[in-house]
Amino acid sequence: MRAPSKALQTLDTLALGARARVVAVRGVGGLRLRLHEMGFVPGAAIRMVKRAPFGDPLELQLRGGHVSLRRAEARRIEVDLLSGTGGTRS
Amino acid sequence: MSLRVALAGNPNVGKTSLFNALTGARQRVGNYAGVTVDVREGPLRAELLPRGAPAITVVDLPGVYSLSPTSEDEAAAYRCLTGASGPPPDLVVVILDAANLGRNLYLVTQLLEQGAPLVLALNMVDVAKEAGLVIEPEALARALGLPVIATIAREGTGLAALVEAIVGAASAPLGATAAALRGRLLAPASAIEGLPAGSDAPSASSSTLAAIPELVAVVDDPARVRWLLAARASGAEELTDASPAEAAALARVRVDLADATSCSLAIRRYHEIDGILEAIGYAARDAAPAMDLSARIDRLVTHRVAGLLVFVAVMALLFNTIFTWAGPLMDAIEAAMSWLSGQVSTALGPGLLTDLITEGVIAGVGNVLVFIPQIALLFLFIGLLEDTGYMARAAFLIDRLMSRVGLHGRAFVPLLSGYACAIPAILGTRTISSYRDRLVTILMIPFMSCSARLPIYVLVIGALFPGERRVGPFSLGGLVLLAMYALSTLSALAVGAIYKRTLLRSPTPPLVLELPPYRLPRVRNTLLQVRDRTMDFVKGAGTVILAMTVILWALLSFPRPPADAPPQRSPIEYSVGGRVGVALEPALAPMGQDFRVGVAILGSFAAREVMVSTLGLVYGIEGSDDDDSSLRAAMRAARDPDTGERRHTPLKGLALMVFFVYACQCMSTLAVVRRETGGWRWPAFMFVTMTALAYVMAVLVYQGGRALGFE
Repeated sequence: MRAPSKALQTLDTLALGARARVVAVRGVGGLRLRLHEMGFVPGAAIRMVKRAPFGDPLELQLRGGHVSLRRAEARRIEVDLLSGTGGTRS
Repeated sequence: MSLRVALAGNPNVGKTSLFNALTGARQRVGNYAGVTVDVREGPLRAELLPRGAPAITVVDLPGVYSLSPTSEDEAAAYRCLTGASGPPPDLVVVILDAANLGRNLYLVTQLLEQGAPLVLALNMVDVAKEAGLVIEPEALARALGLPVIATIAREGTGLAALVEAIVGAASAPLGATAAALRGRLLAPASAIEGLPAGSDAPSASSSTLAAIPELVAVVDDPARVRWLLAARASGAEELTDASPAEAAALARVRVDLADATSCSLAIRRYHEIDGILEAIGYAARDAAPAMDLSARIDRLVTHRVAGLLVFVAVMALLFNTIFTWAGPLMDAIEAAMSWLSGQVSTALGPGLLTDLITEGVIAGVGNVLVFIPQIALLFLFIGLLEDTGYMARAAFLIDRLMSRVGLHGRAFVPLLSGYACAIPAILGTRTISSYRDRLVTILMIPFMSCSARLPIYVLVIGALFPGERRVGPFSLGGLVLLAMYALSTLSALAVGAIYKRTLLRSPTPPLVLELPPYRLPRVRNTLLQVRDRTMDFVKGAGTVILAMTVILWALLSFPRPPADAPPQRSPIEYSVGGRVGVALEPALAPMGQDFRVGVAILGSFAAREVMVSTLGLVYGIEGSDDDDSSLRAAMRAARDPDTGERRHTPLKGLALMVFFVYACQCMSTLAVVRRETGGWRWPAFMFVTMTALAYVMAVLVYQGGRALGFE
């Protein structure tokens, strides 16, 4: 595992319970804007809550609420893992 | 003078509760040009209106997270706000979830940019307080420079203060704090700052960047420029009402620059919001306290094993409700209609007028009313599931499977309902926000084997696949029935996947789904919605169904048989419908059917199960609906007088069932599709494609079966 404080990874690879901060959002066809408007802006804190039964989509905690993203969408979000909160999924 | 007040807010913040509390039951679905989403409006309850204040009309906008036009809901909200469809509101009340203030304020920043006077209703302060989030409305009001009223919409708390603030704010100019915030939000945006770090650097030559100032020059209103740019970024220009000049200027803006600019504006709005939250001491903690109880519930409800079991149980209950429990109500309606027919027949005596009234008008009214139990029960169920927050979980659980077809998890419930009846199922597609995906779902639903096909399967299987024939431990008839359901399901999914990739091509919609906290449902809100939906069906589709019933009756009744007609010929053979059936016989032969079945197919256009009684008429059997044994016997015994061949063989029966799997033999479905798509284009498309497919498949089955040596 990489050093947690420096690790840049995409949101879909977060372990359950891990916390991270948004660094950048990619995506095309309006997805990037939609993610921004839902609050996935650089600096926003996120916690990985759950994966759905078939491994997709994901449940995330963001600002006051819970939102669900597909893994393909979460892959567009680069995050900086906050130390001491779990780590990368193997 | 009167005031128009629009209610705006995110989904799941108690907007409908507040609207119902403000207007009582005197609300109706408003009429907005070009808006396919329900926008309800109603007058403010008189007892809430302060003495001497102008009358107030309250408009309930669709719940949205943002004004950027990514779906019909946002586009409808924007059109209502800007007066592009109907009179614009004088003031906007934004309902905020106090427990989720950050994201809720995003809509406020966008509305502030629009420039309408705003009043904020800080809702669910009680929930937030229980969760340890104390918010002083006064502090928020000072930080924003806007009136903020604490409300508990479900209990009707804070309504008087809210109305007072509305009356006060409607005439007051924007305060200095709010004006300064608006100025910061509307400051010109640079496209560069919004580009994702490390992406291919924009070849920001001055010419590409100049396209945005060009747009600004055409549009003039900065808030509208942003709205158009967001549409450009999302590829949703078709959802805008851009003028030709605006559209031309917008088309010159590079999509990635529109996207970068829009994203940088979103970041700027959240930057302002974070500043406000900090100023009022709103704990910027990333725990979601309001979700504590919900998280505990979700440990079970979205668990990878238990969650699926709960899902299956809930869906089984929903399905059973409309498939089985609606039955007694539908029987009662049919019994009432036949009682009425009987009364009319007795009173008027036999004759043409009696037939017109009983078999045309009363039957037509019955054809409309009979759907009401299923529609009401389905919307009751959907409403309660939405209200409690379970519907979002259901979409969360099933999305993986639905996205294979290219659809959102929300398409599941309408498709499942299609096994009971296409009518409520098609009405239920309104929860799907993308118009194209909604259309794909509507086109898929009639392929689901509805309960009206069951009597046909039962008749044919009972007549031609005797129960004693077995395949291993299973009866042959049971396997055939199962095969029909499997065929219909696979066909619906295949058709959906094909339309999604060709005719109605659009990317799989992003999920970005909110999982709101669980709440107790508000039965009153749900019942009001059930009433709206049911009335909408009766008014929007009922007249068409009634008219078609009368026309169909006439086609199958006229001309009357001549006086010297041989008694073994059924009167129906002389009618226009009967003659068409006879004329179609050469076309029916390749699928193994004769004119008798052809006439029954025509008659079944009223509703598929009518096929059984029409075939009974053709065979001269006045059987009751519940007992088709004499018709079965007649079908088994029927032989061609010339060749001595059996008229109905198992293979011919199979071809007939396959025909009914695919054929859109249901005028009510077409009437509802017309209502939901706003014209005859899609119902015509649906009818033609489904009938053609049904014919081809039935011919393939019959000819293929014969080639394999079956008869």
